[in-house]
Amino acid sequence: MSILQTIKNKVRSRSIHVSYVDVGSCNGCDIELLACLAPRYDIEQYGIFVHNNPREADVLIVIGAYTHGWEEKLAPLWEKIPDPKAAIAVGNCPISGCCFNRRGSYVDPPVSKHIPIAAEVPGCPPRPTEILNAILSVRDSVFADWEVKRR
Amino acid sequence: MKRTVDVNIPLGPVHPCFKEPARVKCETKGERVIAAEVELGYMKKGIERIMKGRPWQEVMFLAERVCGICSVIHNMVFIEALEQIGGIAVPPRARYLRVVANELDRMQSHLLANFSYCYTIEHETLAMYLLDLREQVMDLLERLTGARVTCAYMIPGGVRCDIHQENQEFMHVSLDRIETELVRYTGMFETGPMIALRSRGIGILTQEAAYQAHAVGPTARASGIAVDQRTQHPTYMKLGFAPVVRHDCDNYARIMVRFDEIFQSIQLIRACLSGLQKGIIRGGGTCIAGEIRYSGEAPRGELTYVIKTDEYGRVVEIQIQTPSIMNIEACCHSMIIGADSIADVTSTFVSADPCIACTER
Repeated sequence: MSILQTIKNKVRSRSIHVSYVDVGSCNGCDIELLACLAPRYDIEQYGIFVHNNPREADVLIVIGAYTHGWEEKLAPLWEKIPDPKAAIAVGNCPISGCCFNRRGSYVDPPVSKHIPIAAEVPGCPPRPTEILNAILSVRDSVFADWEVKRR
Repeated sequence: MKRTVDVNIPLGPVHPCFKEPARVKCETKGERVIAAEVELGYMKKGIERIMKGRPWQEVMFLAERVCGICSVIHNMVFIEALEQIGGIAVPPRARYLRVVANELDRMQSHLLANFSYCYTIEHETLAMYLLDLREQVMDLLERLTGARVTCAYMIPGGVRCDIHQENQEFMHVSLDRIETELVRYTGMFETGPMIALRSRGIGILTQEAAYQAHAVGPTARASGIAVDQRTQHPTYMKLGFAPVVRHDCDNYARIMVRFDEIFQSIQLIRACLSGLQKGIIRGGGTCIAGEIRYSGEAPRGELTYVIKTDEYGRVVEIQIQTPSIMNIEACCHSMIIGADSIADVTSTFVSADPCIACTER
């Protein structure tokens, strides 16, 4: 492995920018993600910075069961994120639709039909520690040696 | 005549300040906002259509998932409506435990709303203090109900589980600590000169405008309208509840009303825990056919369920009116208009505490 790659790995492991997008959830996973910011869980001690700007994000967290309002919006949003990038589905909704995936509803799960998902966190809603764990696992499996893997 | 508009600025649907997708279109003249329009439709899941024709055992969990932030009150209003239809009696211990769960939920929701506001006006220190306090409230909720967010604590005829003696003592100690810390943080908000610059006199919603937009909850109470559904609830009447009202009509008043209500919730929980009678927590009864319109006070305002059930306890017809839609209307027709800068638009919108998930369902 080249020295450049080692430096890149080192830097990327401590600097992850997270953007989140809510594509039709009940808000339960939303507030559990916000709770990650709290001093108790302190997401920033791992170098993870949560803001909501897709253009400078590394990780896109998708919450919710994909409603029709997002049909022309989620895929372009995913395009705007620079490489290397990963998407994490938080909660049961983006994985299976949970209780909303019934006859007569206006949702179209799973989200993996529309954008590639790197990690899934099941739960209704999952605990903040589980969300944190998923972001850290994506860091090791996707961002480490990204240039080598791409080749 | 063609209107002179300098710039038409859309905010959202993905915006750093908004937790949920909503789009606010502002027509501006220079920096001054002259008209605003809120575009919704990113969260429509059709939950009322799913609910129709299902037994109450399923609808109970779906009702919780209308809104994740205020899930306890959705559960409470749906269950109490079923109890009113069937004439099911609730034991006194369960009545008080319901109020404890509901007030804990209101505390965490108000703390989250005030966190969002402080985060939006870039006062991150106070925001993080409040979010830390919220985690302590979530601990109490978890100890009482067994889950952090969607806990399904109430069932027809009572509550699901009892509170242990040690948890009761823990709750007393924890509430004392939360109160002393909250006194300090409220003082920081009240006396902060920079906070006053961003909050006082901004986002004015006059009493007439609030009546016109049918504003509810803390948004209406900050405009001097003493409207609160808890005054009609039998358990709250027994506890001697009176709504908190302020007359400043601005962003500052809305946040302070929430702070005052958290103190009030702490007092209500203490009164409930000290007045807790020994006895059963769950009575019996059957859910029968009937039709009812029932309201309760969610953290954001009045929440109404119109339910029609058949003789097997299935929900035939259901309509939900959530509080946020009225507050969003008040926000885009009165509060945002005349804002001195675009930065005030987001903070004013957040101060009304809009919950898009329960607005669109």
